[in-house]
Amino acid sequence: MIERLSHGPASVHGLTEPFALSQQMISKHIATLVRARIVIKTKRGRESVCTLRPEAIKKVSDWAVYYRRFWEESLDKLDVVVNQMKKTEVRDDKNS
Amino acid sequence: MTRTVNETDRMVVVRVFDAPRELVWKAWTDPKYVMQWWGPKGFTAPVCKMDFRVGGKFLCCMRAPDGQEFWNGGEYHEIVPHEKIVSSMYFSDSKGNKVEPEAYGIEHEAIEGAYDVTLFEDFGNGQTKLTFIGNEPMESAKNSGQLEGWNQILDKIAAVVAELAQAK
Repeated sequence: MIERLSHGPASVHGLTEPFALSQQMISKHIATLVRARIVIKTKRGRESVCTLRPEAIKKVSDWAVYYRRFWEESLDKLDVVVNQMKKTEVRDDKNS
Repeated sequence: MTRTVNETDRMVVVRVFDAPRELVWKAWTDPKYVMQWWGPKGFTAPVCKMDFRVGGKFLCCMRAPDGQEFWNGGEYHEIVPHEKIVSSMYFSDSKGNKVEPEAYGIEHEAIEGAYDVTLFEDFGNGQTKLTFIGNEPMESAKNSGQLEGWNQILDKIAAVVAELAQAK
């Protein structure tokens, strides 16, 4: 279902079609995803439309990807901090 | 060197900083500075506590752009000043109690006995090479950096040999 929603929003009816499940079962499944804050459900006329929360896709990511990204991007920031420290220390040396 | 952790599970990040080693070490070990760089792009680190000594623990919080907070705890297992740190890291609550990464919506099969190794190498020209090795088993974590140590010793021996050769 998440696979289907990753292509774009879909109505509950549209989500039921590809599965050999009753609309009731699908609704139950959707309710779980809504509670888990993975899917947002909105009313459009008489139909409910489901959308995948963009943050959810980012959060439910593979550990290895997360771990590398954490360190790569932290070290990018560390570079800025170190350069700032260097400037501050030079200034402190001049002042003292 | 034996590897008990799958190659793909380990991660190595290398950076060369245009700053002396003492400064990079300070930025890495002083919570005042760690708060300024901890976490991916766009994240802030509102809390960072570090009991920087062997057996000491750390607790850092990072806040995502959408406001969600992720807490990480960890422990220092080996500290060689200005050269090397062996530590562990896990997801925690705000009190530092270990939690399953799933609690944060992160899929992660825990790698038992995996440590992170951080190496600081002085290039001698005002630059510092930082090597971060993730998910190292303790046996190889202990040995990390020794190769560089050996290279330095060999350089010294070579210099002594050269001097002796000149003195002749």
